[in-house]
Amino acid sequence: MLEAARSQWHPIAAAHDLPFRHVFHGQLLGREFAVWRADDGYINIWENRCLHRGVRLSIGINDGRELKCQYHGWRYSNRTAGCTYIPAHPADAPARTITNRTFPAVERYGLVWSSEEPLGEVPDVAGLAEGKLLALRGIPVNAPADKVVEKLKAYRFQPTGAIDGNGAEIAVEAAQDFAVALRSRAGAAETVGVFFVQPVDSNRSVIRGVLDQDAEGAARIAILRHHNERLSKLRDEVERDVANAPAPAPIEPIYERVSAELAEMPELTAHGRKAALRVAVARKWRTADGIAGFELRPVKGILPTFQPGAHIDVHMPNGEIRQYSITNGPGETGSFTIGVKLEPDSKGGSKCMHETVREGDVLAISEPRNNFPLRRDAIKTIFVAGGIGITPLLAMAQALKNQELTHELHYFAQGEQHLAFADRLAELGDALKPHLGLSPDATGAELRRVLAEYRNGMHLYICGPGPMLEAARRIAAEQGWPDSAVHFEYFKNTNKIDDSSSFEVALARSCVTLQVPAGKTILQVMRESGIDVPSSCEQGACGTCVATVIEGEPDHQDVYLNDAERKAGTKIMTCVSRAKSARLVLDI
Amino acid sequence: MITLYDYELSGNCYKLRLLMSILGIDHKTVPVDFYPGREHKSEWFLKLNPLGQLPVIDDDGLVLRDAQAILVYLASKYDPSGTWYPRENPALLGEISQWLAFADGITGTASAARLHDALFYDFDIDAARAGAHRLFRILDEHLWFVEQEGRQWICSAPQPTIADIACFPYIMLSEEGGISRQDYPAIRRWCDRVKRIKGFIVMSGVFPAGPARAAA
Amino acid sequence: MTKCTDSVVLNLWHPVGAIAETVPGAVQQTVLLEERLSFSVGADGEPVVWRSRPDLRRADQIAAADRLPAKSVYGYVWTSLGSPPADLFPIPEYAEPDRRRLNAATFGVNVSAPRAIENFLDMGHFPYVHTDILGAEPHTEVKEYDVEISVDRDEILATRCRFFQPMASTASEGGADVDYVYRVPHPYCSVLYKSSPVDAARRDVIAIFLQPVDQEHVRAHMLLCVLDENSEDKVIKRFQQTIFGQDKPILENQVPKRLPLDPRAETPIRADKSAIAYRRWLSQKGVTYGVIPAAA
Repeated sequence: MLEAARSQWHPIAAAHDLPFRHVFHGQLLGREFAVWRADDGYINIWENRCLHRGVRLSIGINDGRELKCQYHGWRYSNRTAGCTYIPAHPADAPARTITNRTFPAVERYGLVWSSEEPLGEVPDVAGLAEGKLLALRGIPVNAPADKVVEKLKAYRFQPTGAIDGNGAEIAVEAAQDFAVALRSRAGAAETVGVFFVQPVDSNRSVIRGVLDQDAEGAARIAILRHHNERLSKLRDEVERDVANAPAPAPIEPIYERVSAELAEMPELTAHGRKAALRVAVARKWRTADGIAGFELRPVKGILPTFQPGAHIDVHMPNGEIRQYSITNGPGETGSFTIGVKLEPDSKGGSKCMHETVREGDVLAISEPRNNFPLRRDAIKTIFVAGGIGITPLLAMAQALKNQELTHELHYFAQGEQHLAFADRLAELGDALKPHLGLSPDATGAELRRVLAEYRNGMHLYICGPGPMLEAARRIAAEQGWPDSAVHFEYFKNTNKIDDSSSFEVALARSCVTLQVPAGKTILQVMRESGIDVPSSCEQGACGTCVATVIEGEPDHQDVYLNDAERKAGTKIMTCVSRAKSARLVLDI
Repeated sequence: MITLYDYELSGNCYKLRLLMSILGIDHKTVPVDFYPGREHKSEWFLKLNPLGQLPVIDDDGLVLRDAQAILVYLASKYDPSGTWYPRENPALLGEISQWLAFADGITGTASAARLHDALFYDFDIDAARAGAHRLFRILDEHLWFVEQEGRQWICSAPQPTIADIACFPYIMLSEEGGISRQDYPAIRRWCDRVKRIKGFIVMSGVFPAGPARAAA
Repeated sequence: MTKCTDSVVLNLWHPVGAIAETVPGAVQQTVLLEERLSFSVGADGEPVVWRSRPDLRRADQIAAADRLPAKSVYGYVWTSLGSPPADLFPIPEYAEPDRRRLNAATFGVNVSAPRAIENFLDMGHFPYVHTDILGAEPHTEVKEYDVEISVDRDEILATRCRFFQPMASTASEGGADVDYVYRVPHPYCSVLYKSSPVDAARRDVIAIFLQPVDQEHVRAHMLLCVLDENSEDKVIKRFQQTIFGQDKPILENQVPKRLPLDPRAETPIRADKSAIAYRRWLSQKGVTYGVIPAAA
């Protein structure tokens, strides 16, 4: 019976067991669950085990958006259960595939339902209409479910209208492996009670009763007490009955293995410019002058985990591909929100998004990629955003706000009407510092003030138009910020790419040597030879196509690497950069 | 100033540290090597408390023993709000006393199980665990109805009382005695609420809660 | 659970009790690898250990043939249910005359010995489990460190370990990186060396010796061997007990309780290098007790 039970839906909690900011400790057929309701109402039912070191997540912290493991502070996102942050390695973006096992959750009849491998939907229960039911207190019983079900068939209770009476007539309306429906009648009063029995383990169960009518005030409490008392008595009887029989052995849950590449902790891999996801434009709105907001919902299933700083490639109806940062706060995983600025000299990207794409349209997007990871071990974090550069920094600021980590978001814009995502900005409170309508000189002066007083342990994140970004980096360097504390993301590479050189590239792990002629990029040549390399912007801005240089001198033409990284010469952006030496050896 | 004779891993000592932290009572601590040193059975300590038990406080010469008794004393003397031990409300005082006695029951079962498992005390472990489960069932049921009636705390006051403080530690430490709280969801929710009381502090074995949801 | 059949573990020395907590001549009972044992330390300091039997109540009743191998080392009685090596692993610092040597405590923990060793080797949890003592957010980074499995000494050595500790010393305000070295010279024992707050040139030594009661229960014996002339014993012990008491609920909430040696059972990160080396080392040795061996 218990084997077949795996494909059935069972109640695993009452809805009232899941207040906000709490983690419920559940169990079904031997498998433990950490169950938590996010602030957006979504119910997460997860394997009760952190993927890192097996610690129960039911002792972790529900911060409303993410669940934090108590052992090492790993954070797992609402809905996707993907790991968004590993504090031991603050500079790294966790592999997106570190994802806890999730189980389906359906709230119905005042109960929360789940199943290991459900066939079909949560069953309709005759007699229980949604909306005016009364869920009773769950009664844990140390006995097998079938024994409890047997006993429940003889359960006696008074109908709601005659709770103080005695001797109501009880009829068994239906009885199944894990549920008994009873009708209690006394005069005109009549109540149907459906008593589900949750098989917690081979020798443990919970009786979860639901009555077909609600009540209010003292009458409601009286009904709840009536059933609590009688069901507790029934529990005691079942427990006495089974006390002398040998208890069946607990069910040993089988834990899924993590993927082979996670066991090795590899670099993040993605291949080519793929658009694996289909999303619908759920909302398109003008969030500021010249900036359109898009809320993208999955066409089916759920969206993958993202981290603050991550971007997606959007494949447009006209064939163009553009990168947009996800502005969502942590745990907001029902949709991705992006901001698109209409570029006056648009070659078809932003123009298409503004003019052609409408609500309801379906777009292809890539999985989120994070080449702009946010450290959360700074004593203070300063964000400097210029114009539409707000988008990745907004996601970052919301993450730090959620964790109550010290930060300031300096948002440079032409005027009030140019500030995008006002609702999200408002949530940041005093951390938001708008700087409006400043000339380039005044902006420089303001940046000098903002970036004064660097202390060890501070970090700076900059995103904005090229000239402003350059200025901010220069000023930061002048004021003593080391390269390692300054993180930036360009929208695009405005460097004039010189692709006149020709050279040889040896791919060490692939054991091939390729010739890169003038006019072609390393990336193109590799692709032509069938070597799959991830890429995104393909103009040296986003960092996706980075490769490790083993030998040779790179000719950097990107805007992703910082000066120290350029000097070190150990990394190269294969979409634009080339070689100064006759030969490069890459770790590919 | 109050001196607390204290052992870090004692839930009964923690009750007092917790209440003193919540009430902002300045105090100093004298560590007692309860384990493995058995200093609570030493000659000097038996002079303070002939029962040879922790905790003991000395408040300017007033020496008191017994965690629950000291909670009553501290709340009566040092809580200007008068909510932790409302001296003017006989019904509530009755309730509080009832649950303080219940807390002693928890000490006699859940704490005993922990002493058996962690510190190798020669107790009847099965009896201790069964006794704790019996009490936890009663408390879970009580707290479930407390929630249904729109309240939050063990006693029928709008604020927490020393009854909450007295029951909390050995419930939180019960797993160390092999007593899971999985079957007591209302107790688990109440534990979160206790952890969110302003001034709450942890002890070894007790983790803090995350922030509550801001009122919309 | 069946009794131990793991010959590697049977042939090890295992601690059973702290000598400081024995009364000369008195017999104590304990459990090692699911076997009930009795032990006693004579007035001469020599320990006698035997399989408990109702007719044998004093050490002087135990015939030589009934005695288990016994040793008094590092302040503990050690024994073995098999054929142990001549010597226990070395801790040279234990002999230094100016050190304080004490048993911080022996605690029962509902976890396997290897899980407890991994926790002992782990720095990443300091800000979350030992908050404001051994670590504090936002200083959460585990910096790169080195791990080697020393072939000639047959032990794991993790060096160049550093972690940010708030109030690292009484002398300075604010936090600083503290240096650690970890050794695992025995499948169920580990030794930690930590910068001494009183002598910059030397290190405090803290060791954990786990007595496997069964596959999922241990008695954890904690040896302190520290440079501290001022603090009372109980103050030094209190600190260590506080730390261990914080780890305890984590250990007791790890699922499964036995340490999985399959590399794909859990998700390692770079910070777990020493744990990865430890799991490999246990696999190579063929340890099966207290672990879930990787499928062949």
